[in-house]
Amino acid sequence: MMNTKKRWIVIFLLPTVALFLLIYLVPLLIVFVTSFFDYRLTASELSFVGLSNYISLFGDPDFHKAFSNTIIWILIQCTLHVGMGTLLALILYKKVRGWKFVRTVYMIPNIISNAAMGMIFLNIFNPSYGVLNSILKSVGLGHLAKNWLMDSATAFPAVTLVWFLFAGYTTTLVLSSALSVDESLIEAAKIDGASPVQTDLFVMLPLLRKMIGTTMVMAATYMLQMFDLIYITTGGGPGKATTNLPLLLYGAYKGENNYGYANTIGVVIVLMGIAVMAIINKVMKVNDDEY
Amino acid sequence: MKKLLVVLLITAMVVGMVSGCSKKADNKKSSTNKDGEIVLNYPTFQCGVNTAAEVVAKLVEEFNEKYDGKYEIKLEEIPGDTNYVDKIKVQLGTGDLPPVIYGGGFNLLDLALAKDLVVDLTEKVDADSEWKDLYSEAALTTNSRDGKIYASSVEGSLVGYFYNKELFDKAGIKEPAKTWDEFFAQCETLKKAGITPLSMDTADSAWVTQLWLGALVATDNESGLDFMKTMNPTDYNTPEMIAAVEKVQKMLKEYTTLDAIGGKYEQAANNFLSGQTAMIANGPWMIGDFTDETKTTKDFADKVGTAIYPDSFVYDAPIQGYFVTKQSDPKVEEAAIEMVKFFTSAHAQQLGLDLQGMVPASDTVKVSDEAKDKFPLLSEFIELAADAETRTDNMQATMYSNLLDTISQELPRLQSGDIDAKGFCEIMSKDAAKNS
Repeated sequence: MMNTKKRWIVIFLLPTVALFLLIYLVPLLIVFVTSFFDYRLTASELSFVGLSNYISLFGDPDFHKAFSNTIIWILIQCTLHVGMGTLLALILYKKVRGWKFVRTVYMIPNIISNAAMGMIFLNIFNPSYGVLNSILKSVGLGHLAKNWLMDSATAFPAVTLVWFLFAGYTTTLVLSSALSVDESLIEAAKIDGASPVQTDLFVMLPLLRKMIGTTMVMAATYMLQMFDLIYITTGGGPGKATTNLPLLLYGAYKGENNYGYANTIGVVIVLMGIAVMAIINKVMKVNDDEY
Repeated sequence: MKKLLVVLLITAMVVGMVSGCSKKADNKKSSTNKDGEIVLNYPTFQCGVNTAAEVVAKLVEEFNEKYDGKYEIKLEEIPGDTNYVDKIKVQLGTGDLPPVIYGGGFNLLDLALAKDLVVDLTEKVDADSEWKDLYSEAALTTNSRDGKIYASSVEGSLVGYFYNKELFDKAGIKEPAKTWDEFFAQCETLKKAGITPLSMDTADSAWVTQLWLGALVATDNESGLDFMKTMNPTDYNTPEMIAAVEKVQKMLKEYTTLDAIGGKYEQAANNFLSGQTAMIANGPWMIGDFTDETKTTKDFADKVGTAIYPDSFVYDAPIQGYFVTKQSDPKVEEAAIEMVKFFTSAHAQQLGLDLQGMVPASDTVKVSDEAKDKFPLLSEFIELAADAETRTDNMQATMYSNLLDTISQELPRLQSGDIDAKGFCEIMSKDAAKNS
């Protein structure tokens, strides 16, 4: 027999679980099942095609490009982006002058909507009146001015900059975790003669490992669902230089009206998400209690 | 007390969730009301700030007055054409379509036909000589499939280009070019005079740029014109197309603004309206912008001239019109057919012209004195267009919809030289093949 407390927990959880099943699990199952069908807007009925959509997808050069772009962005976000946020958190942890101000200001880009951020960067990179080209011209480097978002050589790094620099969530989460670390551990390290850098590297970072792992999961999933910022700034171009999997999915759904193929891409994204989370959990030992 | 509080909390949570999820659906189905009047629910994006909103509202008012007690149209406003297309596509998936759909430039007719959801209007049109007379040969092509008439147009798409007379004068150009050689010579002259010749774009399907491209293809030779008249072509790797793309590449490299690459229509329009560029390809719906002081200077309209394309070409095709979808109640279908007939009648086309300067679908509808006074530039253009020797629909109206994104993504690479004209055409063909 369930005790009263457990019964209440179940009762409270029930509506949420029911909604989850209805809103997420059922559509997810439909996406998975229809990925094995020729499912188009113009078709009068679905026809089973087995693995045909998957075979077409894995042989599609556009998929290869979108897949590699997505992987590169996940890697950049999980390493450099999270690393930058963590580094700032460790600096702020020292409570240097103005640390609260910096902590607040650094969060601002994260609370601006993606649509607005996209527009801001469109203006920064605009080839005619953009801030970046204006600065280059004013310091005598006008020959370097270019159409940053539409040049095949610069589009990828330019789009990456739209979100890469703003690690406010990572900084906030890692800093809050650092602030809850037992002070005595830091004091002990100091007494043992550890330098501030050594304390950060060998005491603080291991203690923050779980939180850093969590922010890496957040960063990776953010990249797996990244759509609006790319759509607004480059639309996935030039060519497929900045196309990722969500944009490829959107093209199959919206442009080709090929829902079966779009759902196949959706399944790949879900599987990638599961794989990426498993890898991060394993590498960062997020579920491991030992330090 | 504690238990009571918990029970209340759970009840509130469940009620909140259920009421949030199951907001009572609005009664948006077409049906017969208690007075025996048939109510047609008509979703439309031609509302709010849409240029055709006033015309549609007036037609609904007149229809409801004419058929008072028999039929009534209830407008369901869907701001934004993209939202409208998305809604219709979702309804296509479920097979639960509104009785009347406006095909517009979105080719919704073929999508609905693929699902066998469209009512054949052939008999009704044939039986009504007044209605039939409104169908030109081009209108029949646009609205028919396999010899059967499925839709009826109200508006035509008559597109040439606008030029800035002041900038032309400054460069010593007397009149718009008659041939493409003359056109490119004029671009060079303007450039030498320090004037950017063309407003162009690449984003959002590159509307302005593809107008130049299509005009070049259509005037290259007979095959080019045939290509432009083909619905959903799959082979873009043709000599006419490659030659036209080469010229567009030159335009993008030498004769347009820096922000054209990656730029949207709005930027292209703004460059023309601010006097930075000398020419922009676009339809008469832009004429209103020339007097809009929030977009340009007070006297700008006086500086604008209009022209058909070199080699005597103009885009001229009725825009795919209204069609009726199959309904379980035949009375609703009858009402829908009456609505389509009314909305595309000569009166409706005249109303659109007089109120908003909408080009009539039928050439039997003449430009009234009222329209001439209100839209002098439009009247001038309609007269010029009447003399054009070659005419067809624009490229976007006939291409597979996924190619709209392909064009936007590949034009920047064409401009930078990452791909050449042949490479561009091969990519277009490859992406077109994805639809088969």
